[in-house]
Order: sequence, then structure tokens, then C-alpha cells
Amino acid sequence: MTATMIARLSSALLLLVLLAGWELYCRLAGVPALIVPAPSAVLATLWSEIASGRLLPHLQITATEMALGLALGCAVGLAAGIVLAEVGFLRRLLHPYIVASQVVPKLALGPLFIIWFGFGMTSTVVITALICFFPLMENTMTGLGQVDPARRELFRMLGATRLQTLLRLKLPSALPVIMAGVRVAVVLALVGAVVGEFIGGRAGLGASIIAAQSVMDSGLMFALFIVITLMGMLFYQGATWLERLLLRHHLKG
Amino acid sequence: MRRKLPRTGSRLMSIEPHSEGFVAIDRASYGYGAWPAIVDHVDWTIPRGAIHCLVGRSGCGKTTLLKLAAGLLLPDEGIVRIDGAALREPGPQIGFVFQAPTLLDWASVLDNVLLPISLKRRPRAVDREAALDLLKLVSLDGYAQRYPSELSGGQQSRVAVARALVTQPAVLLLDEPFAALDALTREELQDDLLRLCALHETTVLFVTHDITEAVYLADRVAVMAAGRLHHQIAVDLPRPRQREMRYGQAFNALCRELRQAMDLAP
Repeated sequence: MTATMIARLSSALLLLVLLAGWELYCRLAGVPALIVPAPSAVLATLWSEIASGRLLPHLQITATEMALGLALGCAVGLAAGIVLAEVGFLRRLLHPYIVASQVVPKLALGPLFIIWFGFGMTSTVVITALICFFPLMENTMTGLGQVDPARRELFRMLGATRLQTLLRLKLPSALPVIMAGVRVAVVLALVGAVVGEFIGGRAGLGASIIAAQSVMDSGLMFALFIVITLMGMLFYQGATWLERLLLRHHLKG
Repeated sequence: MRRKLPRTGSRLMSIEPHSEGFVAIDRASYGYGAWPAIVDHVDWTIPRGAIHCLVGRSGCGKTTLLKLAAGLLLPDEGIVRIDGAALREPGPQIGFVFQAPTLLDWASVLDNVLLPISLKRRPRAVDREAALDLLKLVSLDGYAQRYPSELSGGQQSRVAVARALVTQPAVLLLDEPFAALDALTREELQDDLLRLCALHETTVLFVTHDITEAVYLADRVAVMAAGRLHHQIAVDLPRPRQREMRYGQAFNALCRELRQAMDLAP
């Protein structure tokens, strides 16, 4: 058995131990289900939600919002990062404003977006995109600025145009840093989608949490946490997989 | 890059009958004004097909001089001419090998070698064959589809040399390309380089701090210190150079002479 397998097995075992401890504590101490439901009750709720088919539409909506927001935010962030890295004048002109716009808590803009875009998916997608935009822009700028001077000189020596240098040297060189930004954006996108729904969603996992809260159904809330966590891990795994695919030839370290 | 309009003065100079050098560095200075100048009124000519080496300690200005010869830097004073024409920017007639292999990690060995061509136009089958032939000549047969991360340091340097030669430049400039390699690999690469350059009578300027490397490769070696050329020796060892020569008396006498010249330089 390899060391990684042992580590993974221990990791799974730890989860079981924690769940058992939680279950035992709830039963022995008689904690009210409203405060902390026992894992068995949470799993039962989760199962009934899945089996009744109530969960799936909400899951689809949140996943769609997250994916759309992530794609939009990453695309705009990448483009903005490239423009700001390449055009020094624009960087000096706009960067302070962009930082200022990012320091504003974007979730606080939620109510405004509801006025602009209405309740529902659009405002959540916009909030998610706004949150994802920043790590992508920052990492793209950083990555494009870190290109090895000797390789830039090589491209000068070979008479490469500015566009060729960007597409064939700078972007591929910056890819590891850009992909690290994507991973951060994935985590933030989930926060954006769920909390966006708290504010302006009619459906989705975040909206379901608010609905569960209004009927004091802690078990359902915990069940939804599990679903959200699993979805986040799936998206993160997807990003890691994409990163590995794109960077398979890059030198390590 | 901003291109300067050709001044009438330099125009006139460039059509002057150039005496002997294919590469002619004519009283070139760089970093003038800041004292001391990095390159200080250097005169140097390399005849067509000759291999010249430039030795000197770190920071003596030899890399800067090489970049002046490449057109990557423009001299503050003086002029660099290739085949009689004033050099204003890097061009396809010059190949450059950097200190580090500077390969693109994300491109295959073949694509790395083809880079100088693919930046100009879509590589054709002929180009691909030429690149594969070059790889064969640097003993990297069968490595065309590998990636730089799978190669050893010596193999990466070989790819860098092949890349610099794929467009068959008239002039090849090298900036301590083998400095990071172990002694055995370095000797192999020196032989490879000599063989490749003899193929098309490439004119070579090779910068190094390794005395034996300079003597083994060069027809003529210049010693640089504090931005100036102080001493030069002609290496009259027969060509093709062979590994056995390294242990001969003539070779070692030249090495000693060069070493003494370096010690005498300020």
C-alpha cells in the first residue's frame, strides 16, 4: 500500500470518526434537532429531498449560475488583465479604480442588482461574475509581468510582433499563474452564487437555505450544506483537472 | 521598437567599401556617459566563416558587446556592420544562443526548433525536414516530439543551438551557452557546434569565460576587461579540431598565453 493510499484512507476514516462523534454527542447529550441535527437525521432528510426530486432543479439552477458567473467573470478578468498588462497608460489610469471597485463588498451591491436585473438568475450571475473577475485580472497581470527576460529577448531577436509575443510567449508563460487565479475564482464563485441567492434568488440551493430557515428546518439546512460542499469540491476538482491538462508540459518549479 | 530614420551620414558609411570583416564592430560604445562605459570604443572584425571567441571575467561587458553585435542594443557611439550594412535591429541573418536554453516548455522539441520560422510563416514540410536533420546532427534523433521538461540540460542546449541555426543565419552569436553543463557534455557540444558551423561556413562570435573552450573553438580569441579589448591571440591549430588536441603542447601553450593575458588585463 502506497503512502498516498494510506493518507487517503486515513482522511476518510477521520470523517467517519467525526460523524460518529457528532451522532453520539447528539444522542447522549439530547441536543435539540433544531440547534444541531444528528448526522443520521441530516442524511435521511437529504435522501428524501433527492428521492422526491425536489433537490435536483435547485441544484441545477445554482450550478448554472455558478458556471455562467465563473465563465463570464473569468473571461472579462482575463481580457482586462491582458489589456492592463499590455497598455501601461491604461494600467496607471484604471488600476486604482478597479481596486476601489473590488474593495467595495460586492454582496452589498446585491440589492442594487435586484433593482437593475430583477429577482432571479441574472442578478446572481452578475454578482458571481464580479467576484470572479478580480483574481483572474490580478493573476493575469502578475503572470504577464513575470515573463523571463531572456525569452522576451529571444522573441525580439526573432523579430516577433507584439501580438505574437503575447500569444506565443507571454500567455503560455503566465498560464500557471492564471490557472491559480481560476482555482481561487472557483471557490469564490460558489460563495457568490449561494449568497447571491440569499439576496435575490427565487430558486436554487441558497434560496432553499433561506426557505428552510423560515420554517426552522435545521436538518434541511445541513443537508443543503452537504450538497453545496460537494458541488464546490466537484467544480474545484474540475479546475484542478483543467489545470493539469493545460500545464502538462510546463516545467515544474 | 522605435526605428530611427537612417541618417545620411551612416548611409554613406554603410556603402563605404568595407575592408575585410564580415562582421565589423567599429569604435562601438555603450553605456557612455555613465562611467565607466560598459563597452568602450571597441573595434573588432570577423572575416566570413571565421570563429572568434571573446573571453573575460563576469561583468567585463562581453555580453553587452554581443548584444550590440546582435542588434538587441544599439551603440551610443560607433557602428556595427554585418556584410557592409549598418545593423539597426535584430534580423534573420543573425542567430543567437542565450546563456540559458530559453526553450518554450509548452512546445515540442520540433516546434521549438521551428520557432524562428513559425513566427514568420507557416512551416512547410521542407522546414520540418531541415529541423529534423538539424536534430539528427546534434544527436537528438527521435526526440522531436518530446517536450523540454523531458530533456537533460545538455539536450536542451542542443535544441537551443539547433533553433538558432534552423534559418541558416550567416552569423551565429553565442553567450556562454554551455557554461552550466558538465565538462564531458560541454566538450561534446563544442564538437557539435564546430561541425554545424562548418556546414554552412557560419561566422561565429562566441562569448565564454572558459579559456580551454575559447582556444578549442576559435580562430582568434580576444580578451575583454572593463569594456575594452586588451589582447588578442590567433589560434593556428588545424581544423577540424579533435579531442586529442586538448592534451597537446600547442593547445596548452595557447591556454597559458591566454591566461596570462587575462591576468594582465585590469
